Amino acid sequence: MKKVVANMTMGNDMSPLYREVIACMGVPDLEVKKMVYLFLINYARARAEIASHAAAGFEDDVNDANPLIRAMAIRTMGYIYVERVVEGLIDPLRHCLRDRDPYVRKTAAMAVLKLYMFDRSLVEEERFLDMLKDLLADSNPSVVANAVAALTEVSERSPHIKLKLNMKIAGKLVTALNECNEWGQIYIIEALMYVTPQNSDDAETLIERILPRLQHGNSGVVLACVKIIAYMMNYVAQADVLEPILRKLSPPLVTLLNSGPEVQFITLRNIQLLLQRWPTVLQNQLRAFFCKYDDPIYVKLAKLEVILALTTEENARVVLAELTEYAAEIDVDFVRKAVRSIGRIAIKIELAADRCVRALLDLIQTKVNYVVQEAIVVLRDIFRKYPNRYESTIGALCDNLDTLDEPEARAAMIWIIGQYADRIDNSDRVLGRFLETFLDDPAEVQLALLTAIVKLFIKRPTAGQDLVPKVLKWATESVDSPDIRDRGFIYWRLLSTDPEMARTVVLSEKPEITAEGERLDAPLLEELLLQIGTLSSIHRKLPSTFIPFAKKRVLGASPALTRLTIAPPPVSRLPRCSTVPPGPPAATPGSAPPAADAQPPATARSSSAHPSSTMLDAIGGAGAGQSNPYISDVTPGPMANNDAVLIDLMSMDYDEDPSQGDMAIGSGGMYGFNANFGTSGMNLAGFDVLSAGSGTSAGRSGHAASSGWAIGGGGGGAAPDSQTLNNAFDAAGLDALGSIPTSPPSASWLAGSRSPAAAADLVRQFTPPYEPMASRSAPLSAPAAPGRSMTAPAANGGAQPMAATSASPFGMPLFPQTLSPESSAFGAAHSADYLHSSSAFTTPTSAHPLLGSASGSEFVSAPTTASSGSLLGL
Amino acid sequence: MDSLFILNASGAALLEKHWCDDRAIRRASLVVVPAFARYLASVEAAADAEPMWSGPQGTVCIHIQRQELIYLGIVSREVPPLEVLELLEGVVQALGEYVGRLSELTIKENFVTVYQLLSEMVDSGAMVTTDTAVLRGLVPVPNLVNRVLENVSGIGIGPERRPNVNTSATPWRAQGIRHSTNEFYVDIAERIDAIIAASGAVVAYDVNGEISCKSRLTGMPELVLTLNRPEIMDDVVFHPCVRRRAWDAERTIGFVPPDGPFKLASFHVAMETSPRSLPLHVRAQASRSGGTHTVEIAVDPGQCHGRPIEKLGVRVPLPLQAYNIGVQCKTGAHKVTNARPPQVEWTVKSVRPGDRGLRLSIQYHMHGEAAAAGGAPPAEQQGVAAAFVDFEIAGYSAASIKVDALRLLRESYKPFKGVRYVTKAGSFQVRF
Repeated sequence: MKKVVANMTMGNDMSPLYREVIACMGVPDLEVKKMVYLFLINYARARAEIASHAAAGFEDDVNDANPLIRAMAIRTMGYIYVERVVEGLIDPLRHCLRDRDPYVRKTAAMAVLKLYMFDRSLVEEERFLDMLKDLLADSNPSVVANAVAALTEVSERSPHIKLKLNMKIAGKLVTALNECNEWGQIYIIEALMYVTPQNSDDAETLIERILPRLQHGNSGVVLACVKIIAYMMNYVAQADVLEPILRKLSPPLVTLLNSGPEVQFITLRNIQLLLQRWPTVLQNQLRAFFCKYDDPIYVKLAKLEVILALTTEENARVVLAELTEYAAEIDVDFVRKAVRSIGRIAIKIELAADRCVRALLDLIQTKVNYVVQEAIVVLRDIFRKYPNRYESTIGALCDNLDTLDEPEARAAMIWIIGQYADRIDNSDRVLGRFLETFLDDPAEVQLALLTAIVKLFIKRPTAGQDLVPKVLKWATESVDSPDIRDRGFIYWRLLSTDPEMARTVVLSEKPEITAEGERLDAPLLEELLLQIGTLSSIHRKLPSTFIPFAKKRVLGASPALTRLTIAPPPVSRLPRCSTVPPGPPAATPGSAPPAADAQPPATARSSSAHPSSTMLDAIGGAGAGQSNPYISDVTPGPMANNDAVLIDLMSMDYDEDPSQGDMAIGSGGMYGFNANFGTSGMNLAGFDVLSAGSGTSAGRSGHAASSGWAIGGGGGGAAPDSQTLNNAFDAAGLDALGSIPTSPPSASWLAGSRSPAAAADLVRQFTPPYEPMASRSAPLSAPAAPGRSMTAPAANGGAQPMAATSASPFGMPLFPQTLSPESSAFGAAHSADYLHSSSAFTTPTSAHPLLGSASGSEFVSAPTTASSGSLLGL
Repeated sequence: MDSLFILNASGAALLEKHWCDDRAIRRASLVVVPAFARYLASVEAAADAEPMWSGPQGTVCIHIQRQELIYLGIVSREVPPLEVLELLEGVVQALGEYVGRLSELTIKENFVTVYQLLSEMVDSGAMVTTDTAVLRGLVPVPNLVNRVLENVSGIGIGPERRPNVNTSATPWRAQGIRHSTNEFYVDIAERIDAIIAASGAVVAYDVNGEISCKSRLTGMPELVLTLNRPEIMDDVVFHPCVRRRAWDAERTIGFVPPDGPFKLASFHVAMETSPRSLPLHVRAQASRSGGTHTVEIAVDPGQCHGRPIEKLGVRVPLPLQAYNIGVQCKTGAHKVTNARPPQVEWTVKSVRPGDRGLRLSIQYHMHGEAAAAGGAPPAEQQGVAAAFVDFEIAGYSAASIKVDALRLLRESYKPFKGVRYVTKAGSFQVRF
């Protein structure tokens, strides 16, 4: 037998021997039996005749006196997906699930899972799931663990079965935890994710009981505990209860950092997530994250991110000394990130800014090329944040002009010179030198240079006189990028029609920038926190984006749920420009919370010609502030099907109120979308196509609001606000681009005039004789460039446009592109959800009264009307 | 987890075990593993391979490499990678206990045992157990080892033994263990992780300790271990045999020990970052005059209860371009390794508490520096960055943790008890 098995594993086909092998099944020796089973697992699933031959042997074995043999027979049969064997499995399996030996019971529990993968309906018909559920109350903890593992796996794989556990079961599970081995503990802890505490006390009790489990040698157990505690903390009412919990989370996480680099990396990625939600976790543990010289680079970069998040006024000095140390290391990526972090600390902590700037200037003195470039990029942000404070350092920066060869650094330097054009004596000469290579520079630099020269001209007309015509001519004639051309035209037009206006637009006050690191938007963060320790938390992607049919995890509805609230967009801070007459082509840009990078930059524009504007009016009053940004989360992907059935396994036997449906694809959700739709609006060239379906665009708009981007104004018809637009652009590190007062456009114009022909027309009208200060009004009845969608500041808080999309005629994406592949995938996944959910509704107004009832709570839990019947609490 | 492969260093599969359907099996063996082998071949050193590699067709390959073999888990669903990593570690450990040194040969010789073990450890893709005490009850240890084990432990492992499925309250300890002499040893090993600035200031200082025991006790003894300063240990991880309640209430460690060697607990102590607290002080200095670079390192023993510091080793990696390396030291021996980058190693067998003036001085020149004279040094030539220090102090606990008492309950005999302390350098780095 041994030889047969050995040959089998080496890839030799031993299947012709099956008669002889199966004959061995009768041998009463355990070891021989095991080998026969190995043989069968290997060949029987592919060859039905072998399987049917063995069926009789299996029948004997499942009734054997030795529990080990019973268990092995059940286990082996589970792997052989052949009709005959499966049929023969059903009855013995039922017996084995009630076997007196725990080893048999726990093996049988897993066999149910295998059977489920083979034939779902069979498992449901034979009520095996109920039997599994009974095993949850088993006296043997490892049986409980296996039953739980099987049930959760069934729930994850099934499109219509959703596991729900109540507190009573949760309590029993936690008790079993004490006697389980590490793997059993993991499965039980994971299963607690299916508990939705209905009040704060429940959540606190569970946390209290899980906390001691954090001290475990298996890092998998530790992170599973962290996950469940992070989940339960959403249901804890009082903030002062959270503090001690957060304090207790810290030491185990620090201990994990003493493990191998793989574990360290996973831990660090998850710590970053935790810190975004609960900034006080790991307080005073800063030193644990200091980089060792021999850490792998991926660990170092992840540590830097955590260090930055942990920096406070008190420890800024220590951090700065540490970062300066890193800036002298050898690895280029690491050094760059260290330099960038110094700048981010300056922006984050005002008191440390002086010291940071001094450190950066010291670094510039090292003349190491990439350090200098990186330092200049971050200094640009510091200038933005603290205007008129560090101008004295510009001289030192200018010493390095010749060495700047990276676009980002060049653009940053140009921005600085443009911004302070009136304070730098030879700013015109410096810009002139940059201009020499204008046509060879990448778009990023060209944009910066164009704006800087216009600034120079406005501030010092005589100095900029020669440069402006040159740059405008190049920008509009010799550059391919539509962005640069558009901006060139706008400046040209601005300068030629209304110089005062140009001054207001170009030199507008810029909104403040903040210096958070990688910030995820709230819904994504919320779901990733439910996935702590898993691949998605490491890749920052939702499982649904890389695992087919993965289920979404949501925070179950409960009166105790307290959510992370998103700060409303800073509407009030944006100054309004009164010189712009009100008119319909309102540009209501996504006011980017600056430096929030991983968010889809939803710059939506409103349009008076919007076909569904009447619909919007009906609900226009409800501002974005009221709408629920989590609507997206409440709609689980696969559950959105109308035929989806929610089987609440637990509430069948244990008195749980089934009316507490924890999923809501309420019409309230639709309401949320539309409210946002109204306020942010959209005006995209391809709009007609979209609005016909309305589902997609509404969903997208809702998404825009959900990520906190769209400005929730008073209603759909917000006044056009070039200042706001400007600010938004500047927030992204670009410069002013204004919309010009014009006559109202019509939808047909939108469709028509944005054709290449019309654009060519514009070019012709603009290009002829150029008279900088002449008040020649161009005979244009159409607005020039309604603007383009804006991008968010780039990753790491740097202000680098990464994916400006354009509403230009040259083939444009319908929606603003997201910044990173992760978030774009996220966006796509969501819009699919929206499509599902919103298509289920016909009129959004029918949802109106619902919000009234639900508006008291933070989420909309209205599993009623519309797609009623799509979810059933059985 | 879908499948587990054991591969040799070149990525060829020695053994595969699947817990998924036929399609996934074919995908794993025909597509994923060859792709993974190509990926392994494409990275320079196997250690550089990402532990979590996104394989073809939505799979993720999670692997660890131990000795000459690669253990690869393939997952296609959302599984916490840490669990897979821990499982693979468990597999390595269990296989090691069963077949001895793991190599291509031993795996091939013990196919049947390995398969049996894997079927018990993972069922239907879910991890069941990695505890070797439990596994030993389910899968017989191969013959030769079996006999050795029986002789050593006194446990008979017959093929007809009933499965041991956690039915007793102490699954880690079998009934009826007998020893002719009863002994119990406790080893407290501490590891110092520290970052020291060039000035000698302590940037970070942590102590990670491990309490390991060796038990040769008859019957079902219960032990209570009392430490002198349990409160300073801020994250203690115990063996499952330890009663948590006693620890939470009175900070004593009560347990029924498994038989043989086991790890009772590990702990972490955050140390104050004053230079006086370290058992030895290290300063480092790098300077340059003309074309000559000089690196100087000074070591002084600190307060360590009069214990000598043994096996002191200082390793200084030099820049890639260093040549003409000269080393002087009055005490100890030194060695220059011409690896890339070159490295100076300095070893001193023993440093006594009163010893002063241990100095190491290194001079070297840099290639390509003459050409770039006066200008900024190119990015890659940044000189030395860190020195790594290694040492061992027997009979000393850096966190000053001591065993106050070890009591034996439930059995009447008097065992021989022994306690040892040792402090070693973990990752002890000095910056320049």
